Formats: sequence, C-alpha cells, structure tokens
Amino acid sequence: MTSIQQWFKTQGWRPQPFQKQCWEAYLAGKNGMLHAPTGSGKTYALWGGIMAEALNQKAAPKGLNALWITPLRALAVEIQQATQRMTSDLLPNQKIGLRTGDTSQAVRAKQKRTPPFGLVTTPESWHVLLSTKDHQKYFQQLQVVVVDEWHELLGTKRGVQVELAVAYLRSFLPHLKVWGISATLGNKALAQEILLGKGTNHQTVEAQIQKKIKVQSLLPKSMERFPWRGHLGMHLLPQVLRIIKKNKTALVFTNTRAQCEIWFHRLLEEAPDLAGHIAMHHGSIDKKIRLWVEAALREERLKVVVCTSSLDLGVDFSPVECCVQVGSPKGVGRLIQRAGRSGHRPKAASTIYFLPTHAMELIEAVALQKGIATQQIEDRTPYINSYDVLLQFLMTLAVGTGFYPQQLYPVLRATFSFQTLTDQQWTWLLNFLVKGSQSLEHYDEYKKVEVLEDGCYKVVHRGIAMRHRMTIGTIVSDADLKVKFQKGGYLGTVEEWFVAKLKPGDVFTFSGRNLELLRMHNMEVIVRKSKSKKTKIPAWMGGRMSFSAHLSDLLKKALFEPDEEATAEFRALAPIFEQQRKESIVPQPNQLLIERFETKEGIHTVFYPFEGYAIHEAMASLMAYRISLLQPISFSMSFNDYGFELLSDQAFDPQAFMDNNLLSGEHLMEDLQKSINISEMARRRFRDIAVISGLVFQGFPNAPIKSKHLQSGSQLFYDVFKDYESDNLLYQQALEETFDHGMERGRMFQVFERMAQQTVVWKSCSQPTPFSFPLITDRIRSKLSSETVEDRIKKMYHQLTQDS
Amino acid sequence: MKATTIAGHKMVLHPSGALYWPEKKTVLLADVHLGKAGHFRKNGIAVPRKIEGVFYQKMQQLQNDLPIRRILFLGDLFHSDKNNEWFLFSAWVKQQQLELILIEGNHDIIPRQQFQALGITTVPHWEEEGLYFTHYPEERESLFIICGHVHPGIRLNGKGKQQLKLPCFFHSSKQFILPAFGAFTGLHLLQPTPTDRVFVLTSKEVLELPPKT
Repeated sequence: MTSIQQWFKTQGWRPQPFQKQCWEAYLAGKNGMLHAPTGSGKTYALWGGIMAEALNQKAAPKGLNALWITPLRALAVEIQQATQRMTSDLLPNQKIGLRTGDTSQAVRAKQKRTPPFGLVTTPESWHVLLSTKDHQKYFQQLQVVVVDEWHELLGTKRGVQVELAVAYLRSFLPHLKVWGISATLGNKALAQEILLGKGTNHQTVEAQIQKKIKVQSLLPKSMERFPWRGHLGMHLLPQVLRIIKKNKTALVFTNTRAQCEIWFHRLLEEAPDLAGHIAMHHGSIDKKIRLWVEAALREERLKVVVCTSSLDLGVDFSPVECCVQVGSPKGVGRLIQRAGRSGHRPKAASTIYFLPTHAMELIEAVALQKGIATQQIEDRTPYINSYDVLLQFLMTLAVGTGFYPQQLYPVLRATFSFQTLTDQQWTWLLNFLVKGSQSLEHYDEYKKVEVLEDGCYKVVHRGIAMRHRMTIGTIVSDADLKVKFQKGGYLGTVEEWFVAKLKPGDVFTFSGRNLELLRMHNMEVIVRKSKSKKTKIPAWMGGRMSFSAHLSDLLKKALFEPDEEATAEFRALAPIFEQQRKESIVPQPNQLLIERFETKEGIHTVFYPFEGYAIHEAMASLMAYRISLLQPISFSMSFNDYGFELLSDQAFDPQAFMDNNLLSGEHLMEDLQKSINISEMARRRFRDIAVISGLVFQGFPNAPIKSKHLQSGSQLFYDVFKDYESDNLLYQQALEETFDHGMERGRMFQVFERMAQQTVVWKSCSQPTPFSFPLITDRIRSKLSSETVEDRIKKMYHQLTQDS
Repeated sequence: MKATTIAGHKMVLHPSGALYWPEKKTVLLADVHLGKAGHFRKNGIAVPRKIEGVFYQKMQQLQNDLPIRRILFLGDLFHSDKNNEWFLFSAWVKQQQLELILIEGNHDIIPRQQFQALGITTVPHWEEEGLYFTHYPEERESLFIICGHVHPGIRLNGKGKQQLKLPCFFHSSKQFILPAFGAFTGLHLLQPTPTDRVFVLTSKEVLELPPKT
C-alpha cells in the first residue's frame, strides 16, 4: 500500500479517508460497496487496492485480473485512461483494455489472444465474452469485478444482467471479489445485497462528500404567456441565453432526444454568435461526434452543450460552470446527479437552473428544492423474475460452452432477481428453449437449444447462434430506428415514437440537420436533406418516467403547506391558482378532488390524488374497470404525476360512482389484475420482453432476404400469446411487471388507505381547469372498454355521419 | 356477411376476411401465410403451434356458411420455405373436392411444381369476366383489380379519443384489396379518400364505414 500512497504523492494528491478504507478492505480480501459521487476520486479508491494486490504478488500478473463494468461507453474511455495511467507507473508492462460495442474486431481478437491485466467494459460486452467457448479459461486469473455506477444499473434489466454474470463467474471462481460503486440511493442496504450477495464478508465505505447544490427556478416575467401544458419550455429561451452568456460553460439537460435537437436549434437561431461554441450530445448521435464533444467540453473549447441523460454520468467535466434542467427531472436523485456535473471545484456550490415547461412544474420546483435540502433520495426498484433476461442469458451460455441445468439452477437461485424461481418455472424455461412449447409435439421442427448426450444444453445450429450473438445487448427501452440517406449513408438512430408522428414529406431535425422523411421501412428511416426551414416538431409526450414516491410526498407538502405560498414559485403561480379556484378548488390534504366537464372531445372526469405517474396509471385503469362494470362504456385514459383523466363519449353518474363505493380498497389486487388484462397496459411492457427474449429479431445489417421472413412486431406476438398461449411466462411477465414495477404494489394499498380518509370533492366545471390541462391534452393514452367492438364501431359510425 | 357489388359483380364479404363470388361459387383468399409459425419455430422463435390450426378452422367455418366450388388464393399462401405445415396443408388439400388456384405472391418461394403436384394451378395472375386477380395492387386501364399483399387495416376514431384498429376490405375506384386471411399477420393502415369504400372486420361481422367527407 505504501507504493500506492507514494504514487499519490508524486501526483501531488493526498489520499482521502474513503480511499484508504477501500484499499485496506480490498487487501483484506473483502467484497464491498463504495458510496461516492462522481469526481471524488472513486476510481482510484478501487484501482489502488487492485494495484496493491498485484504488487504484493511475487510474480508479475498474468492474464485478466480485473474486470471493470460501467453502464455507458463514454465512461468506459475515461476509466480506461485513468486506470492505465496508474498502472503504467506501477506495473509498467501491464495494459488496461477497453471493450464496448464500439471496439473493432481486430482489437477484440487481440484482447482474446493476450488478455490485458484489466478490462473496462459494459454489461452487454461482458455477456458477449460469456458467449465464447473458452471464457472459463479467459477468466481463470480474474481477481475482481468492479461494477461502477451501480445505482444506474440497479432498477434496470441491465442490472439483472450484472447479477447473472456475477453469480455465474462466482460459480467457477469461488474467490472472486465483487465491488460496487454507487451514488447515494434511498435503499442502500438492498442495493448492496443485490450486487454482493447475502454473504458477510462485505464492507461498506462512505465517501462522506456532501456537495452543496442550489436549485433555482427560472420564472417568466409574466405568467400570461406561461403555458398550462408542458411542451418544450421555449418561452424561457431568453432567460437560458442570459445564463449561458453569464457563465463560461453550461450544460443544458433535456429529457428526450427530440427536445435536445430542438433546443439546440432554437438556441443557435436566437444567438447565431454561438455557432462553433455550441454542440449537442445524445445517445443517437454518431460516436465520433460524441467523443469530440466530450473532449471539447473538457478542454473548454465549447461554451454550451445541449444534452440528454447521455451526459448524466461519470465523465468528469470539471470546467462546466452551470447546468440548466429543462422540464421535470422526475426525481431528486437525478437532479442531484445532473447538478453535480458542474462546479467540480471542492466546496464550490453547484447551481442548477430548473426550467419548468408548464405551470404545474413550478410546484415541482419547490418540491425538488425541499428534497435536495433534506437529501431525500429515492429508491431504485430492482427487477425480479425477468424471464426475458434469463432466457437471453441461458442462450448466451448455450451458444458458448453450453450449460448443465442441475448445476446452473442453484447458481441462478442465489441471485436476488431469481431467488424465488420455482422448479416448475425452471422446467418451463428449459422446455421453451428446447421444445418451444411445454408438451412434446409431433411433426415439430422447433430448433433452438439441443440437449447433448451428456445432458449439456447447447446451440448447434449456426444461424441461431449468430442471431443470438447479435441480440445480446439489446436491452434498450425504446425501439431504435436507423436514419439513413436515400443514397446510403448512416446518420444515427432515432426512437420510434419520434418518427411515428411524422408523415412522408414532413421535415424534421436530426443531428443538427433538417431532413425530409421519405419513407420508413424495416426499422429504417429513409431521409434526404431539406432546405425547408419549417420543421415539424413531434409533440413531446413528456418523459414517461414516474415521480418517485418521495417526490410525490414532497409535492403534496409543497402544495398543501401554506407557508410555501411565500416562495417565488408560488407567487408566480398565483394567477393560475386563482383561475383554478374560479372553476374548482385547490385541494387540501384531506380532500380528493374530482372534476367533471365536457368539451367537444367528450366527457372528461379528472381525479387528483397527487401520487405520481405510476400509481395514477394503475388507478386510472382500475377506476375505468370498476365503472365499466356498472354500464357498457369505453374509456380513453391519460395520467401524469398529479392525477389522471377518464375520457368517455357518455357520462357516468357521479352518484352511482359514490354509492357503489368505487374508491374502495377492497378486492384491490383482484380488480387491478382484471383491469390490467382488459386495458392492455401490459402491451407496452411486452415490447422490451419480446426483444430481450429473442422473439423479435430486427435483422442482420444488409440482411439477405431469408431473415426478412423472420421479422415480426412484438405487438403481433403479444396478440398471439394472449389469444393462444396465455400461460406463456413471457406474456405473464409483462402482466407481472406492470403490477410490480409499474405500480409499486405495496404503495398502492397505502394510497387507498389514505384516500379512505379523504373527503371526495366532486366539482362540475364549465370548462377545463388549469390543473386538468396537461392531462386532457396528453396524447399517450390507455384504453379500456366494456362495450363490444360492433357497438363501438356503430357508435363511431353514428358520430361520423352526424358530423358530416 | 355483407353483400356488395364489385365492378358490376355481386359479391359477399365474409367476416373471416374471405371474399365470396356467388355466381362462380368461388372464394378468394389473400395472404394466408401458411407455415409462418413453423418457419419461426424452425429458427428458434417459439410461436405457439395452435396458430397452425387456425386456417383449417376458418375454412371449415367458410364451408359451413357458403357453397364453395373453387378457391382462388391471391398470393402469399405460404410464408417461406417448405416446412412441416406443408404436409398438414397437403393432407387438407387431398380431402377437398375444390378447384384450387394460386396466384403467386412475393412470399411464395416454394417451387410451383410442388403446388401443381397437389393439383393446385399456379398462375402469375388470373382474368375472369373483366376482373383481374393479382397479388400486388396494380393499375390497369380496362380491368378492375382484385388483390392482396397489403394486409389493409384502418384506424377508426370516435368521440372521447376512442380508437380502433381493424382489418378491412378496401374498395377504390379501380381496385379491391382483401385483408390478410392468415392468423399471424400484421396490419398496414390505409387512409381512405372520399371515393374509397371501406368494410371493416369485427370478429363477427363486416361493417361498411360511412364515406369520408
């Protein structure tokens, strides 16, 4: 360890207590979890221990000793450079390799022939390594796996990927050490247990670095032009420009790629002198450009970068002076993280400017300030029983060495995600892979995994192995379409919903260019350059992330505590509250407000429980279901973090609603289950599942015609399973995920208990209220109907003929 | 079932997606995509096998409802290469006393001799009584086109932001497009113009939409 301390000295640094703690624990052979923010020296806290251990050995280390897992490719470069720097000084001949989706074939082949001392990689590339035939030999010398930014992975299916790979490596490397690095989380203990396992040889290290963070809301001069409904936040463009001018460098965080593109354009339009000093950074942009932006930002060659979560993490941009957050960050944790991108000088406070895109977000601003002041950081809910990820992992092993079910089963059961996996479910999964069904059938040509004579489960068919290797790593949240010029030339990828609203001939902005959409075909968007200045802006649907439970509590506090009305945000809101009170009320803590009004769209019934998007999505569906039992009726539902709306073409009777006690917590789970089945909330969840489990194959690049016959949408699979095989575990998983992840089952009971204490205030309004506005204009909707298709068509028919 | 007239011929639209020509006792079926489930399964994608039986159930229903002498397949009868579903289909063909004609579609890559060996006539297109039957929607000066390929569907909007997506028969001035008859097929949404007639399929009925204004 003295050599590590020595090295720190030569750098002119002094080791911090948490770094020393990590080194000691590491050398004592412990697993551990380090809680430290970005830019605190967390990389060397772990790497110092790893170096010290290698230096303690008599012989020079051989083979791959350390594996460093990071969620983002951009981060991987940083880590590789930092670790290589220390390694070069202490163990001059040892290399640190980098392996991500961007790594060339030649480099990968070399890494395979002569494994570097350390390898920095992503969860997906890690799994690709596990799909090779000699991976056990490759990992033979492995001492440690470090999982960086664990808080980002936990609560995603990539987190489950990490759990599986850790458990699997431990099964043949019993002395493997596992370390995690995480920002602060609400559920620290659970986060640690999930990564490290249930053992006792664990050490928790706290960096104890508290950064001062200031959240400042950007307020318009007059509220008259302030939109009721969230969109892009453009009305505050002048204020943002002023902030940019005032600071040397700034990051502007947006929630979606589309929003990012538009902000970039508008800033440049408004301040042409920014040309050359402004850049854009999001996940769909070409890698080369992204790397250039990151480097330029570090070297202070850029003044402002408009970005999405692609710049949330890790990468250290010390010179950034301030951050602007456009729209709700949806959680205290995320805002802290983003604020942390600026003001890296020790003890300097980070300021983040919060730009509300609509009036209601002003209340959020107050809630966020409170949350940061009291450090109320949210939990991350881990996924359990993700059969899709497990099937993908089993295939990964099967295309490599193959696996023996009896040996693998206990390994899987030791993970947090699959601790409750039953024998029946395990048999189902194996049958799914081998037979494609649960019973032995005649004349079936199903081919995927074969059972060899010695009982090894293995993929023999080359085409299947190849297709699988291409799908490892397709754990993404939205379907990505490739954007290409008609004459060839690849521009990047774009999320499906972004183009879904566009028609051929429409002009949109992508990677800073104006492009005309020619057609969409087989997951490709074919475009050509356009000179048209009139670009279409696909309406931003708002991040589909839910408020955390914390934030919704904070929100209620902000709304209900009268002393808050003194703050600048509430002063700005006063005219809107006044308008709200004219038609309706601003509910008090003991009131549940329900508003009813009619527009030409139909009858709107809006509920305001203030419990966050996830809970409201479930409640909307539940209420619609219960009402639909009273009469044949069709609903279109929308939800946000404040409430939800049931829209119908006919009114349901408020008295009947109250008399039948539809807000009751009785039979809650039963009714929810039924409403999920009917409303098809699970359909959206199924898309990921179909891709991850390999049902939906997106085709090889430059595919021969053959693979085109294998293309099919996840929606079609959803329908097929629903109609013909509803006990399919993947279909069931979609329902379960909707239940568990979407709506936080436990919290649902509490919400209904609380509602039972409230007085229902039913307000009939003559027009939409300010509170209702974001809801009734939201176009992402769920449906639920108890009418027959025939009746519904006849009604639509009737309405059509009446209109004309 | 819904009676209509196409280019002067009386026709019946069946809720299964079949078009029936009473005068000729002929059923027209587009885009059956047999063997699709099998093709997916052969390549390691576990589509439920129950789908394989849907075509035969639907045919049984059609034969119960209508007197049939001849079937004209408007292409994409089989989804891809030959697989075990071929044998299921052959067995069914042998039990039928029907005249079977296949107009070849882009998916029909099984060599035509194999269809012919089963007694199925294969042709690139078919002309009868001024009607021109093809797989692809083409345009002809003097003939009315009846075709498939598109898997037509339509989005209906109603009050209260209600929406339904349904398969449909699509009747335009020189063309009539059939919905896909196969069970494991998607929809391609079409935008009707004021002169187009659209007949949507519910599982029980065929309903004509009012003309768009």
